[in-house]
Amino acid sequence: MARVRIAIGLAVLATAIGFLVDMSGSAPRGAGDDSVSRPVFANTVPGGGVLCQGSMVLPGDAASINILIGTYGHRMPRIAVQFKNLHGRTVATGALPAGVTVDPLGNRIALGYPHGPSVAGTLCLHVGGTHQIAFGGEPFPTTISAVRVNGQLQAGKVSVIYTRPGRESWWQLLGALDQRFGLGKSTIFGNWTLPVVALVALALWFAALRFLVRELT
Amino acid sequence: MNVLSRIAAGGRACLRAWRRIPRAGRVCFVIAFVNVAIWSVVIPPFQVPDEISHFAYAQYVAETGSPPPQSGGLQYSQQEYAALLGLEWGAVIGNPNARGVITVPQDQALRALLRENPNPLGAGGTTVATNQPPLYYALEAIPYWLSPSNDILTRLAFMRLFSALMAAGTVLAVFLFLRELMPGTPWTWTAGALMVAFQPMFDFIGASVQGDNLLYLASALTFFVLARAWRRGLTVGRGAAIGGALALGMLAKLTFLALMPGAGLALLALAWRARGPGWQLSLRMLATSIGVAVAPVALYVLLNVTVWGRGSPLAGGLASVTSAVGPISTGGVSWHATLDYAWELFFPRLPFMNHVYFPGESPLWTLWLNGSIGHFGILDYTFPAWVYNDFRDLVYALAALSVIGVIRLRHAIRPLLGLFAGYTVMAGGLLAVIGYLSAQAALGGSYPFPQARYLFPLLALYALAIVLATRALPRRWAPVLGGLLVVLAMAHNLFAETLTISRYYG
Repeated sequence: MARVRIAIGLAVLATAIGFLVDMSGSAPRGAGDDSVSRPVFANTVPGGGVLCQGSMVLPGDAASINILIGTYGHRMPRIAVQFKNLHGRTVATGALPAGVTVDPLGNRIALGYPHGPSVAGTLCLHVGGTHQIAFGGEPFPTTISAVRVNGQLQAGKVSVIYTRPGRESWWQLLGALDQRFGLGKSTIFGNWTLPVVALVALALWFAALRFLVRELT
Repeated sequence: MNVLSRIAAGGRACLRAWRRIPRAGRVCFVIAFVNVAIWSVVIPPFQVPDEISHFAYAQYVAETGSPPPQSGGLQYSQQEYAALLGLEWGAVIGNPNARGVITVPQDQALRALLRENPNPLGAGGTTVATNQPPLYYALEAIPYWLSPSNDILTRLAFMRLFSALMAAGTVLAVFLFLRELMPGTPWTWTAGALMVAFQPMFDFIGASVQGDNLLYLASALTFFVLARAWRRGLTVGRGAAIGGALALGMLAKLTFLALMPGAGLALLALAWRARGPGWQLSLRMLATSIGVAVAPVALYVLLNVTVWGRGSPLAGGLASVTSAVGPISTGGVSWHATLDYAWELFFPRLPFMNHVYFPGESPLWTLWLNGSIGHFGILDYTFPAWVYNDFRDLVYALAALSVIGVIRLRHAIRPLLGLFAGYTVMAGGLLAVIGYLSAQAALGGSYPFPQARYLFPLLALYALAIVLATRALPRRWAPVLGGLLVVLAMAHNLFAETLTISRYYG
């Protein structure tokens, strides 16, 4: 029946257009995080102090970090960011200028980019000014928080979200998605997995549609 | 040699049975399997409700050959604890900003943890799954051991594929169910089966190591074998098939017990219809069915209290017929309150009900419908709100069409009324059990955790409702609506996959 073919064809066309629009939408894209949520202000740092948080991974595609900052009503001080690798060498830096408005969704601090591949290490936040400020995170005990303020262990852990440079569509992100898709899974998976999954899904669509049209007509 | 020849004969018999299934049914099976297999790769390890517990149960069975003793010891193996830590599992669930392992250093840390903690044998401590029967987990032990690597994540991947086979089996059972009820319109069998095959929440659960998958399969098979016996008449063979499906369900998950009164009613009606001049044959068919259903369950009960020492005949499983419901306080919750709660959990509150348990929008929409459309992960990511609103309009339209479809097909449906009475009691039994346990948990001070997937044992009825909606239209337009709905389901499934990719990898 022609009407079945036409209806299914139009529905598939609408789906394809929706998919293309969805994939083409541009937005800031994530580069990773430290797996810490931010329900509370978990850490405080006095003005002129430095907070260093170990057990961190700086993703290779991170061009900025987002942290939630509380200033207790004072003017935002300058906050410098420094990421050191496990050997203590600085691999990335950035700074939030003084006087910036506090963003309730977290302030973005640009990093020098590119800074090399993903690396494990320590993130340090150097707080300027004279007033104490607080960072959003989770209230971990000192035994696992790996946070030191001015060299002293402090409970709590700062939530850090990394973002990639600029705004990107999902098409532009495919390379990163491809790499990420093969990680944290069985070792039989790898960079080949996402392209193969996409091809199999495409083949499945073709096969299912062909079968459907044949059964309905 | 004798054993090998018997295995070969068994294989040939399976192949013959497979070939007897209509080609369209086989294609639906393959499409469903491939689709769920894709899902199994897309979802990161253990990011499905209770997968950590179901995997732990299966791993314990695979390593020891017996179900977990439900001791107070550790719940998971050292290997699984290491995997969960390395995957940052606890940090990812419920935190939409957290992605888990997406960088090479994180992946290396995960591998190092797994190398340092290779022990796959846990203590079998109590989890939400341990009081369930061991059949699903015993079956999952097969891919566990067939896995080419001892790596826990590789084993999980193979076990997920085995679950995908069960999901595909469910789709095939739905196809065969519709074939019995709509013998004159073969396209409806395919349309209904594909609607289930591309239902994204079904696929999401189907792609994981989750005892629900065998429950869904057993439930769909029960609907099918009852329909088959109703249309073609009860025989000893069909009675045995009904008994087999019931045994499979009861040994899959105790939730299946909620379907038993309805299935029993349908079975009694079948025996009544088959009585003929004397009752002997009819009773023999009934006895066969009951015997096949009860014997394996009796063996399970016996093993629980003897060899396995699991405390009670059902290993304490009756107290948590729906999984993930917390410990239940049985005191202090009146029947009146329980009934009101159970009703309001599914239906709009009636004027004479004193309690208002859900003052906002009815859970019918917020929990059951929205949850079926998509509450993914550990219920921590969803579609944008407009998707649920638009689907609601579609559901209104489809419900109206289904009613019209029933009216149009009333002459064909009338001979099936007894069967549908059984199905109604099956569905009512499931709702009652979910409602009762949710009420006991919520009103007893525990943590209620009802999820849309608890209704998926009724997937066959979902497919039937869709097919009836298409039959509301004139003959020439019905397949058009059927085709459109299947493509909509495929699109829904596709966008659910891209949503999942953006949640964990984006």
